[in-house]
Amino acid sequence: MSWRKITAKLREYPAVVGLVGVVVLFSLLSDRFFTLSNFVNVLRQVSMQAIIAFGMTVVIISGGIDLSVGSVFALSAAILASTIAKGGSILLGILAALLVGAGFGFFNGFVIAKGRLQPFIVTLATMAIARSLTLAYMEGMPITGFPSSFRFIGAGDILGIPVPVIIMFSLLLLMFYLTRYTKFGLYAYSIGGNELASKLSGVKVDLYKISFYILSGVLTAVSAVILTSRLNSAQPTFGVGYELDAIAAVVLGGASLSGGKGSVLGTFFGALIMGILNNGMNILNVSPFYQDAVKGIVILTAVLVEREG
Amino acid sequence: MSEKILEVRNVSKTFPGVQALKDVSLDVHEKEVLALVGENGAGKSTLIKIISGVHKADSGEIYYLGKKVNFKDPTEAIASGISTIHQELNLFEELTVAENIFVGNVKGFSFSKKKAFKVVSELLDSLKFNIRADEKVKNLNTSEKQLVSIAKALFLNARIIIMDEPTATITEYEAERLFEIVKGLKAKGVSVIFISHRLEEIYQIADRVAVLRDGELIGVKHITEVDREELIRMMVGRKIEEMYPKFNRPEKETIFAVENLSVGTFVKNVTFDVRKGEIFGIAGLVGSGKSEIALGIFGHLPANWSKMVLNNNELQPSKNMLEHGIALVPEDRKKMGLVLELDVTKNIVLQNTNEVSRGLHISWKKAKVLASEEVKKYSIKVTSIYQKVKTLSGGNQQKVVLAKVLRKTPRLVMLVEPTRGIDVATKVEVYNIVNRLANEGVGVIFISSELPEILGLCDRVLVMHRGRSMGILDRHELSEERIIKLATGVDD
Repeated sequence: MSWRKITAKLREYPAVVGLVGVVVLFSLLSDRFFTLSNFVNVLRQVSMQAIIAFGMTVVIISGGIDLSVGSVFALSAAILASTIAKGGSILLGILAALLVGAGFGFFNGFVIAKGRLQPFIVTLATMAIARSLTLAYMEGMPITGFPSSFRFIGAGDILGIPVPVIIMFSLLLLMFYLTRYTKFGLYAYSIGGNELASKLSGVKVDLYKISFYILSGVLTAVSAVILTSRLNSAQPTFGVGYELDAIAAVVLGGASLSGGKGSVLGTFFGALIMGILNNGMNILNVSPFYQDAVKGIVILTAVLVEREG
Repeated sequence: MSEKILEVRNVSKTFPGVQALKDVSLDVHEKEVLALVGENGAGKSTLIKIISGVHKADSGEIYYLGKKVNFKDPTEAIASGISTIHQELNLFEELTVAENIFVGNVKGFSFSKKKAFKVVSELLDSLKFNIRADEKVKNLNTSEKQLVSIAKALFLNARIIIMDEPTATITEYEAERLFEIVKGLKAKGVSVIFISHRLEEIYQIADRVAVLRDGELIGVKHITEVDREELIRMMVGRKIEEMYPKFNRPEKETIFAVENLSVGTFVKNVTFDVRKGEIFGIAGLVGSGKSEIALGIFGHLPANWSKMVLNNNELQPSKNMLEHGIALVPEDRKKMGLVLELDVTKNIVLQNTNEVSRGLHISWKKAKVLASEEVKKYSIKVTSIYQKVKTLSGGNQQKVVLAKVLRKTPRLVMLVEPTRGIDVATKVEVYNIVNRLANEGVGVIFISSELPEILGLCDRVLVMHRGRSMGILDRHELSEERIIKLATGVDD
């Protein structure tokens, strides 16, 4: 690869530059940061956020947004936990959780596409609805009591690699393929870039829009399964603020909230930056009071730099 | 000979990859209308942007009122008396006419709406503009918005008003009115630089015409010294023997017919048929319902009809007429035709995914072959088939739309304003494509506000007025006067 090709690639994924930056910075500041075990640790922490952000990427590319992911995350976890706790099989529980994600995704997409409503408003409403249903269903109490085999998904590992990391990379591969080499991906970009032109070109815009939100819901549920397994319980406060973390990762990854731009790989790097910031600041004992401010500044800087580029 | 008010001397400007202007020298006289013509990409916009302070020239000077000037931004140019009326008319839709005229010109902090209203009302009256000062701009049509911009320029004591294709988006009637106003401006001592694609109107209002081609000034002529043929030759650099080559032979056989077509609540009871080998035109003013006819038949706007037949198959209203072989080249390529952020290949593939995909999977290898074929077929000028369409010129963008829509040969194609804002040479290419389609037996409906091309190209023409069909004219009945009469509702 020539130097020009490399710089061109970097322009495509500006998050890589930021990623290298934070890695170098923390490596210089602490000798506990640049170790294999710490990296595996970061990847495991990042996996759940990244999986949600993958779905969010497609929604944002298509010109939409999904604010409901945090609440849908909590409700999926609740349904999963109660299904297993009541004696249902793990598989049944997972299916039920995925169904909750898909159902809310379908509802979001259907109302947005057929009702011609703004995604922000619709998913703001479903965000409230899903959270409220979660609290009512759990009566504000955590759900615990799963068979020990369930722990494997969130806490197990294969050949030393944590299962959540394996799931994340598998989904990254799948999403990379979906967005780059399928009609599904082409239409996400074209609808986000120009919905009317897509429609007049014969693209079934409503159908695809609905499918983007279903995907976002399902990936959110996958993430909920991992966290529930990892913590061995479902909490009613699961997922609070996850929508913002996901959006931050997508935007850091080079997407534009006005649609038509972005990539799953970029989002992955974006999520990594957020994860490394968390990890590095914890290692350096930065007060939690200041951590969000640092993240905010990083997001602003990234967006400003990308605008120039 | 009147005084020179503005002198452009040896101005050059380069953008990354293109030399936009090469050593251009040009004078603007007092009280004249100077027409600036040239194909897209000839450098017209760059030149006016340099004059109006948007861009800086790389070299060369500009003298205004005998003094060398170097405007740092458009505000400074406007304050000095050079106002530009852009195509997109930078007005505040939610504010009133009076507020729009005062925006940016309020001295101090206080602003009296009453006083502004009074001042602007008097101004509009003195100009004989029939617009209310307290009307919100969003309630005005394009032509009225232009008048507001002109009033604003005069309010700021403009000595030179630059109009960037002012007639591209207004009706012929409104254009006539605009020309009267431009002549009035001259009498008031204002000079006008008038950019246009339409040669007819240049003969109507310009005193002199300056021709740009590929960034160079080809010549400046008094309008009485140059005929159409020569002007076109100067613009395109070669002689266009025939703008409207006709080689199609209409036959008796009907390809497409629709009876009592209604679209929304506006277009009512339109009936027509298209014959084999024929180019069927639909003419009418902007807003007469002609583009709605196309969108209604296509299934994008709610429409109904008592009967519609395509190649002997009766069709019911449906959302997906593409599947029945009805294709649409939509009116506004940027808003309706293209995804500007995507590349040429993806834009062409968008409507032809079936050809390059199996299930959901797209083969970009096949897409590459497809796009290369189309780029070659329509001689689309690109640096690569992966160039973003937003970086292409208007003419090349339109060719991408044509390639996309016509890749799968349709049974009926409806082209809405297919030559709007593109250069003369590309226009001729579009006419050739349309002719070829008709010859191949595709039903062609050609919808346009430009009378010359309707007259030059079409075999029969339906004229629309306020959502109604005013009649269908045969080729031997076609004339400008006849169409204008019908289009303006003056039926005798």
